Amino acid sequence: MRSPVSWALLGLVIQRPSYGYELVQRFERTYGDSLELSSPSQIYVSLDALKRRGMIEEIPAEEAEPGVVRQPKPHYKVTEMGVSAYRKWLISLAKEQRRKARLFARQVSVLGAEDALTVLEHCELAYLDEACEAPAKPSKGLLDHVEGLAQRLQWEEDRLAVGAMLSWIDYARRELQQLVAAHRSKR
Amino acid sequence: MSLLELEHVTLLEGSKGRETLLLNDVSLEIDPGELVAVWGKRRSGRSTLLRVVAGMQRPDSGVVRFAGRELAGSGALGEGIGFCGGGLRATDGWQVLEQMVGTQLARGVPQPAARSRALNALERTGAGHCADRRQYELRGGDAVRTMLAIALATEPQLLVLDDAITGVDLLERDEILLLLRSLADEGLAVLTSTDEGTGLSGADRALALSEGRLRGSVAPRLAPVVPLRRAAGA
Repeated sequence: MRSPVSWALLGLVIQRPSYGYELVQRFERTYGDSLELSSPSQIYVSLDALKRRGMIEEIPAEEAEPGVVRQPKPHYKVTEMGVSAYRKWLISLAKEQRRKARLFARQVSVLGAEDALTVLEHCELAYLDEACEAPAKPSKGLLDHVEGLAQRLQWEEDRLAVGAMLSWIDYARRELQQLVAAHRSKR
Repeated sequence: MSLLELEHVTLLEGSKGRETLLLNDVSLEIDPGELVAVWGKRRSGRSTLLRVVAGMQRPDSGVVRFAGRELAGSGALGEGIGFCGGGLRATDGWQVLEQMVGTQLARGVPQPAARSRALNALERTGAGHCADRRQYELRGGDAVRTMLAIALATEPQLLVLDDAITGVDLLERDEILLLLRSLADEGLAVLTSTDEGTGLSGADRALALSEGRLRGSVAPRLAPVVPLRRAAGA
């Protein structure tokens, strides 16, 4: 399964059983700023795909109130296979992130040294900007701690990644500057 | 005119003919209510920059102006500037409150005012429970909060902190960052330094210092691309 939307959706069903429309809303709340839906129907397509693969299953819908004619809403819960697949996918995602970072380093290095320095300078500004944006929000009490957990984990990941990239840029810049200086002295 | 202005500040180290640049043509402005964070690795010049800003070290060239006056760089902390760096005095056996009051008295503040200023500052930084402790007993977040209180008790306009969050417990660290943000929101100018991405959180501006040269931004009129914290909801 390749669709990041389907994996993200599986994560939401793991968090708690839900029905289609609620999942659309939870999806937008949880991933809104980092994963965009082309349309709400994408959720229903992904739910079908997850069901076909045995990662989620329907649970009996709640009985409608007597006299109320309403289409029953199928609720979905995760299967054991779904949880296991999600764990494996997360681990592979971490490897993929490292691969992308290595690729970025290589792609910068194929530029001429002076161009690479310009690119790094802009990257540095973007990272500095991003670092300011990650707010510091301490947790007050256990309930708040749990509720804000996803958000805080993401902030911390952002801040550590930005710190690592700033260090890498600092290193790369020194190497590139030496290269530029060496070229100039040859001319 | 900004509260703090550095213009083309350069500082050299080493004997004549074999100098290295600790600060290389650094220009910087900070206004009241701004939290500015300087990121830099070891030997980037970040601690030197902060000492120069605080008036504790004189640059070889360039100007450091605070509240419209040129700082002497005489080794003494500039008037109106609070400085936190290098940790608490480990050999100092004084109680925190006792020492804070003593410092105020030496500055000519009368006894009752000195005591209430010290207590207020300790409460403000969440270090009220450290008043009766001795400085060498304090660790981690308590030590940082106490250092901040000692600086705040002098009622500074600019607070300078070198590596404030180093050694602080991971979960407590955010509370210190939030405290710095709230001090800036109350109108204090705050300049911090860090070698961690985390230390930049909540800053209005982040600057990178490498080999004594400031990167990132100076002030909007000097640099077209300025990393500014976006207004809430923007």
